[in-house]
Amino acid sequence: MTKFIIAALAAALSVVSAAATDTIPAVLVSRQLAEGARLHVGDIVTIALDAQGHRGKRFRVAGIYEPTPDPMKFTARRIEARMHLPDLIDVAGAPADAESPDAVDAINIRLADPNDTRAFSASVMARAPGIFARSTARAEDGSDPFAVLDRFHFAIAIVTVFGSTAFLLALMVMRAEERRETVGIVRLIGISQRSILLEVLVEGLLIATAGAIFGVLFALATQGAINRFFQWRYDTALVFVRVTTRIALESVALAVPLGIAAGLVGSWTLLRRDVVALVRR
Amino acid sequence: MTPAAPLIEGRDLTRQFPMAAGAVTALNHASIRIDPAEYVAITGPSGCGKSTLLHLLGCVDQPSSGSLTFEGRDVARLNETERSRIRLTRIGFVFQRFFLLPMLTAWENVELPQAEAGVSRSERRTRTRELLEYVGLADRIDHRPSQLSGGEMQRVAIARALANRPALLLADEPTGELDEVTGDQIADLFDRVHADGTAIVVVTHNATVAARAGRRLAMNSGRIVAE
Repeated sequence: MTKFIIAALAAALSVVSAAATDTIPAVLVSRQLAEGARLHVGDIVTIALDAQGHRGKRFRVAGIYEPTPDPMKFTARRIEARMHLPDLIDVAGAPADAESPDAVDAINIRLADPNDTRAFSASVMARAPGIFARSTARAEDGSDPFAVLDRFHFAIAIVTVFGSTAFLLALMVMRAEERRETVGIVRLIGISQRSILLEVLVEGLLIATAGAIFGVLFALATQGAINRFFQWRYDTALVFVRVTTRIALESVALAVPLGIAAGLVGSWTLLRRDVVALVRR
Repeated sequence: MTPAAPLIEGRDLTRQFPMAAGAVTALNHASIRIDPAEYVAITGPSGCGKSTLLHLLGCVDQPSSGSLTFEGRDVARLNETERSRIRLTRIGFVFQRFFLLPMLTAWENVELPQAEAGVSRSERRTRTRELLEYVGLADRIDHRPSQLSGGEMQRVAIARALANRPALLLADEPTGELDEVTGDQIADLFDRVHADGTAIVVVTHNATVAARAGRRLAMNSGRIVAE
C-alpha cells in the first residue's frame, strides 16, 4: 500500500458508524489521533479538508499505528492518517488544478543499496532542477541538525565537567583540611610524603571508581523514568536518554582520573605545609 | 660513631618565625648536646623556646641559623624524605595531646610506624604485643583512643614512640593533660625506657618529672640559661 502522511489534519473527523463495509476505503490512523478522537479499528470516519466537512470522504479505520519517532518534531502532536494515494487525491487534491492529482510535495524513496544515496541524490538534482534530494541518513560532514545538537551537548558536557571538577576540588581541599591534624601526626612520626600520597591515591581511586560506577548505575536506573516522563510529556515514542556502553566507559574513564587528581591536589596542599603548623591548634 | 660521640648536637641554634609585625626569635643562639642513653629535662616559662628546640632536635623543623647533627649527620643536608626516615626509625615523639590517630586502635597505632619502616608482619605482631604489655595495655589493644583514658592514651603514644627502637625519645609536656597520679605513672614509664638504654629529652613544667632526669636545662627568652 502506498502510504502518505498528512501531517496535520485540519479536516473534520467524525465517527458515523461501527458497521464496516468492504466498499469504504481503509485508513490507518496514528495512536495519538485514535486516542484523541476515541477511534477503534472498524470505525467509520469522515475525513474532510476543513472543519465544515468540505469534500469529506468516509473511511474505515483499518488499523492504528505508532508514528515513527522524529526528533525534529517531537513537540508536534502526531495527528496523522495514512491512506491510499487515490483516496488522498480525492480528499486533498485541488480540482481546479489539472495536475493536482500528480502533484506531491515530497516523497521518500528507499534505495536497494543505501550506498548509492549520494550518487542518486546528485543524479536527481541534476536531472530535475528545482527538486532537492537528500539522504535521511546523517550527513557525514557534520552539517546535519543532529550534529549541531551533538556539538551543543558536547559543549554542555564540557562545562558540566569543568564545573563539577571545580566543585570536587573544593570539596577535596576542604576534606584535606579536615584531616590536617591527622596528616600532621603521621608526618610527625615519620610517615613519608610518598606513603601519604600513595594512600591518598588508593583512596581516591576507590572513591572515584565507586562514584563513577554509582553514577553510571544511577543513570541506568533513571533513564527509564526520564524517557517515560518526556514520552508522556510530548506524547511520543522518542527515546530521549540512552546510556550506552560507550557513554558509561567514557564517564568512568573521565571521572576516575579527575577524582584521583582532585584528591592528590587536596592532599598536596597539606603535604607542602610545615609539619608543626599542621598539628598546632 | 665512637662511644663518646653525641647522639645529637646543636650549635648556636637560632629559629626565627617571620610575622607580619616582624620576625619573632623563638630560639636565640642555643647550643645543646645529648649523649646516647642520656635523660635530659628542659624547663622554663611558656614561650621560652622549649618546644621549638624540641622540634629542631626531632628534625621536624629546621633552624634559621646554627648547625645540628644527629648521629654524626648534618641535618641541614638531609632532604624531607631522609628527615622523615630519621623521625621514623631513630626518634620517638610523645606529646601533651597524645596525637594518636583516632580511627586506629591502640594496636594499629603502635603497628603503623613499624609497617612504614618495612618490618615484617610477624615481627610487627611480636613487637606490638611486647610494647603494649610493656606499657600495661595488653588488655586494651582493640580500643580506639576515644575509648581510652588520658593516661592510657599517653601510654599508647609511648608504645608507638618506641615501636622502631629509637635512640632518642622526645617528650613535650607528656604529663600536661594528666592528673598527678597518672603523670607519675608516665614518669615511671620514662624511667623504665631510659633504663632500657633510650636517650630521653623531656620538656616539662612539672618539677617532679624534671627531677627524674639526669640533667636539667633551664630556658628563658630562647636561650639555655642554666644547667
